[in-house]
Amino acid sequence: MKGHKVTAKGRQTQSAQRSRATDRETGLSRRDFMGGAAAVAAFTIVPGRVLADPPSNKLNIAGIGVGGQGGGDLGAMSGENIVALCDVDWSRAVGTFRRYPKARKYKDFRKMLDKEDKNIDAVIVATPDHVHAVASMAAIKRGKHVYCEKPLAHSIYEIRKVTEAASKAKVATQLGNQGQASEGTRLVCEFIWAGAIGPVREVHSWCNRPISPRGLSRPVDTPEVPEGLDWDLWLGPAKWRPYHPWYLPFSWRGWWDFGTGVLGDIGCHQFAPIYRALKLGYPTSVEACSSGVNEETAPLASIVRYDFPARGDMPEMKLTWYDGGLMPPRPAELEEGRRFGGADDNLYVGDKGKMLSHRLLPESRSKEYGAPSKVLPRSPGHHKEWLIACKGGPPADSNFDVSGPMAEVVLLGNVAVRMGQKMYEKGLKLYYDGPKMEITNLAEANKYVRPEFREGWTL
Amino acid sequence: MGNKKVSRRDFMGAAGAVAAFTIVPRYVLGGPGNTPPSEKLNIAGIGVGGQGAGDLGAMSGENIVALCDVDWSRAGGTFRRYPKARKYKDFRKMLDKEAKNIDAVVVATPDHIHAPASIAAMKRNKHVYCEKPLTHSVYEARLMAEVAREHKVATQMGNQGQASEQTRLMCEYIWDGAIGPVREVHVWTDRPNRGLNSVYWPQGVDRPTDTPAVPETLDWDLWLGPAPERPYHPVYVPFKWRGWWDFGTGALGDIGCHALDPIFRALKLGHPTSVEAISTLVNKETYPLASAVHYEFPARGDMPPVKVTWYDGGMRPPRPVELEDNRQIGTNGKLFIGDKGKMLAERLIPESRMKEYGKPPQKIPRSPGHHKEWILACKGGKPAGSNFPDHAGLLAQAVLLGNVALRRELRETMNRTKLMWDGAKMEITNVPEANKFLHREYREGWTL
Repeated sequence: MKGHKVTAKGRQTQSAQRSRATDRETGLSRRDFMGGAAAVAAFTIVPGRVLADPPSNKLNIAGIGVGGQGGGDLGAMSGENIVALCDVDWSRAVGTFRRYPKARKYKDFRKMLDKEDKNIDAVIVATPDHVHAVASMAAIKRGKHVYCEKPLAHSIYEIRKVTEAASKAKVATQLGNQGQASEGTRLVCEFIWAGAIGPVREVHSWCNRPISPRGLSRPVDTPEVPEGLDWDLWLGPAKWRPYHPWYLPFSWRGWWDFGTGVLGDIGCHQFAPIYRALKLGYPTSVEACSSGVNEETAPLASIVRYDFPARGDMPEMKLTWYDGGLMPPRPAELEEGRRFGGADDNLYVGDKGKMLSHRLLPESRSKEYGAPSKVLPRSPGHHKEWLIACKGGPPADSNFDVSGPMAEVVLLGNVAVRMGQKMYEKGLKLYYDGPKMEITNLAEANKYVRPEFREGWTL
Repeated sequence: MGNKKVSRRDFMGAAGAVAAFTIVPRYVLGGPGNTPPSEKLNIAGIGVGGQGAGDLGAMSGENIVALCDVDWSRAGGTFRRYPKARKYKDFRKMLDKEAKNIDAVVVATPDHIHAPASIAAMKRNKHVYCEKPLTHSVYEARLMAEVAREHKVATQMGNQGQASEQTRLMCEYIWDGAIGPVREVHVWTDRPNRGLNSVYWPQGVDRPTDTPAVPETLDWDLWLGPAPERPYHPVYVPFKWRGWWDFGTGALGDIGCHALDPIFRALKLGHPTSVEAISTLVNKETYPLASAVHYEFPARGDMPPVKVTWYDGGMRPPRPVELEDNRQIGTNGKLFIGDKGKMLAERLIPESRMKEYGKPPQKIPRSPGHHKEWILACKGGKPAGSNFPDHAGLLAQAVLLGNVALRRELRETMNRTKLMWDGAKMEITNVPEANKFLHREYREGWTL
């Protein structure tokens, strides 16, 4: 559990850094959202069935992409054996290498998986988005358990294939959307299922990122590749282009060939409680508007709107995503003086009330209502869930069967954003056939559902 | 007009279409001290290189007697068109020297000069046509209305769409109950974007640090006018001043007085009760790249309270379900949501509903043309449709109040509250520190 605390703290540190960054701009903080994860990070007794495969039996874990978020993920699992580490940039990964001096070092995950096949049980994938699927798939095909950072992959098609393969291989999986394990996520479900705000027809979800540049054209200068970085491997399945420091580290998030914008960065965090509480599957349509988009980078700001069909006794629902500082209007129920402009948050609008994150509005209603009855088990911690699953326990709560469809819908939003060029004047809705992964009324949009890979790279 | 997008033609077209000759009504002939309709007005232009040239062109049946511009090279074309007009750089000098020679003034400078120039003219009892958004601050907009009323001069703001057939149709559909009581209106423009790949002017950028030489023909100090001193840079002039807080009023100021005008008329709006704004990053130099501004208006007569939401920078409301699948929603638009239906600009949606309903009864007289309205008013006719005291002052105050809510300095506060507005007192009642943004400071030598 020590590991989990490290992660929660790591996350908070990240969050704090971001808060400082955003404070200058908007004065917003992500604390509400992330707070829950820490709250449940206390020790939890491992269920009896897990003991069949004794917890003393440590997993042998390999990390792919270990210089950034991967370092944090590994830290949360440092009670296991970290046996191999792979990064295309050995200078950025050096801190992680030092922390696990016994781990063997690689630059190419394909070589690592070949050589270490017999030595590893599980893999953590925390590369840039465009490498998620090829790395996860290679591991799954070798029967390795996989923890993959959000948003699972770079395209809908990749997510679908990885999800199907994991299911077939019966490996334990977990997406890196750690907020799903929080108390807050459970409270959202329990309030809504208890009818505290009545049937929900509208949810607004937002994040004030980006925190890396957007709206750029491709650079034309070709600085030298830094020592330590294998640029060709960094590109992986993406189309070849010359190295430029605008892409890495971290800033790849804004570049369509590598990242998935703010929606891809944060959507899997934000949508998790919405998906779970409202039992969402595929939407029937999606539309988007944004500040200028181009073929190279995600926009500085966008609004994505999804229509979901009725599910069981839950009515049709609209989910609206905002990024770049945009948000819904302040709800009338929110008390004057109470902060609304969170760095990121979810607003649930029901027939009988509203809920901001996991608090009923206004506070008087929250107090009057009290806590809903607990119907969901609490999590032992997000990373721990996966470790338990790897050791024969129940599937982790954000295993790919659960998180894959959600991640697909997150990326569907990007398809709508990228069709902005075509839709700018018309403002069409894209109708979506989820099971078929097909946009039915604008055929050319489907090119973004399944982009091509560079030669030498396959799923 | 050359850089206006095709999509705006609809909006502007009607004004031209009805600009044919109209017989001057009898009551126009009264009015002591007014120029009889048979006589030509003597008009001076302030800011004549850009939009001002177009405005003067629409009034070229009158005498254009004096022209003022701080950049004589940019104004060259206009100077050549009116070779008899005397030329000035400083409108204050022009008004002094030409006081006895001019009846009326057309103000089409950057926004930050609108009020000082217009008020100086009105105080000399000159009629004023001033470009939108009327002024640079809420206070100035109110003062313009007051001075115009006090001096009984004929005024018109440059939101020419107000004279259009479409504006009248929007009013008549709503007054006829075609969509029932209206509780929600959405209005949007893609500006400052110009399509998805370019911008009309940059927003969300910082002040340049290099100091290129001032072009020979430009009087930079006069261009700055009442604004705080800063070095010349081509990022400000021409046209791109719109994105800078010190000079322009952003996309909302540029387009708001056009787009919100029919909403104000149709829904008989006055002062809002509250305003809130969200946007992309905002700095102290330029307006944000994209924003949404939410206004709440109280009940008016038998009309219920209504929420009006403004979007710019490519944002817009969700596509209404009533709009047929392949039909364009547009980069600029207005969506009225009533209890009994919806209307996209002046068309009920879906189109089947539009066809079934037909035209509403005509209740509003059609316009002789936006500029002509003012000319007639100057000659003793009835007030123009967008005159300052009755209409434009209120509209511009609401538009500019939206920009107050977008201020960088208020962003943290805006996370915790909306701004509650007492229109009669011109006061933000719940955030006292916000009131300073209703005014601006004037550089020494410049006053209202």
